[in-house]
Amino acid sequence: MKIRIDKSACVGNARCANISEELFPLDDDGYIKVTEVDVPPGMEQLAKRGARACPERVIHIIEE
Amino acid sequence: MTESKLSAAVATPDHVPASLVYDFDYYHDPALCADPHMRVMDLLKSAPPIFWTPRNNGHWVLAGHSANFEAARDVEAFSSEIFPRDQMAELLAQLEETMGRIPLAVPINLDPPMHTKYRQPLQKVFSPKTINALSGSIRALAVELIDEIVDKGQCEFMTAMAEPLPVQVFLKMLGLPLERLAEYRELVSEHLSSVDSSNAILTMQKVVAAMRDTIIERRDNPQDDILSMLWKVEIDGAPVSLEDMENYAILLFIAGLDTVMQGMGHGFRHLALNPDLQDELRAEPEKIKQASEEMLRRYTFTVPPRRVSRDMEFQGVSMKKDERALLYLPAADLDAREFAEPDSFNMSRERAHIAFNAGPHRCLGSHLARVELQIVYEEFLARMPKFKLDPKRPPTFHGGHVLGVDTLHLVWEV
Repeated sequence: MKIRIDKSACVGNARCANISEELFPLDDDGYIKVTEVDVPPGMEQLAKRGARACPERVIHIIEE
Repeated sequence: MTESKLSAAVATPDHVPASLVYDFDYYHDPALCADPHMRVMDLLKSAPPIFWTPRNNGHWVLAGHSANFEAARDVEAFSSEIFPRDQMAELLAQLEETMGRIPLAVPINLDPPMHTKYRQPLQKVFSPKTINALSGSIRALAVELIDEIVDKGQCEFMTAMAEPLPVQVFLKMLGLPLERLAEYRELVSEHLSSVDSSNAILTMQKVVAAMRDTIIERRDNPQDDILSMLWKVEIDGAPVSLEDMENYAILLFIAGLDTVMQGMGHGFRHLALNPDLQDELRAEPEKIKQASEEMLRRYTFTVPPRRVSRDMEFQGVSMKKDERALLYLPAADLDAREFAEPDSFNMSRERAHIAFNAGPHRCLGSHLARVELQIVYEEFLARMPKFKLDPKRPPTFHGGHVLGVDTLHLVWEV
């Protein structure tokens, strides 16, 4: 599973990081730092919850 | 509220079909002022998701979630500059001839790219990391306020908790002298009663005047606070001016105090009405974070204004340049098309709400507001016995750009 993030559309809600700081690292301004993350085994549910928590809906889960 | 308080209804423009007209005075609608979110639920059932109201000079109201979400993120179509820039400059120049300099709540009222330039320097100060570092001192302030009322058996929650806590946090963060707390509380109450009236500019000028000494002092003797930090930023490669600093101060004052205060008001009214929820959260305080989030959705309270920037079709509705449109976020978060059984309080919802708006104008203080709200819920529930509404003095509310609680009398056994 992969997470793909439309980083330019992030407005710094930081709700994803509230679910998992490991999967969704933020920069010093509180905006998402990454555009793509390989989800480690066992963290699939957190990844999905993080995506659903985004008010901007810019986090997409790619099932492989 | 009586009919006479309603603003006059103006004629509907020709391009607005009768089917989209719905009579709603967002300040003085009697049902809104009696019980705001009850009326918002009713609005979603009885009005179209995008409607035109003839009140308050006539304007659009975006009520549905999809309309709000799309409009909030389309900052080119829906401008935050409520008057076109040249008109605004002219208007300000005229007013300033008689009134002196008028501070502006930059950058809430600017469109990108100007918005971005003025907002960027504030991001780090209000980031989750910076805000989390403040949570200890916010908790101490909350506990202090609760200690003052716990033995009394009753309180008017807005003046006892909801207003003083954010004001003290504000003074602390900006580095303003705490011994002037009373003066700032007075200014907040003046702001609340003058908001959206002709006195509002005078109040803003008083707020700036109250802060000016400290602002200048921090330029010369920087300390570990927001004012000192803001003096160090550059906007477009130029150092900030005293005027920029005054604008920032006004923004933080009007955006940071009234809002979180109303969030607490709505939340504690809900808790007072739902003793079972109090029990549940006392027994399982780890649920408070989710509860606090669901309170924000269930009682979303801000209504940001926008200006239609060009003639356009928006979600099938024909709008004309320079018409006003309200992002009625309280309705967006109660839209059944987005949230199943929207009026039920359900902590297990995962779908994100837009109580802090969407798009680049997302509430800068959202992380601070969340921390303040969560701490107040935690400490109040941990320290107070079961509380309920005072049956003799029911709560009172107001409409406008912030759906708010005027008074909230709580009682408990001591």
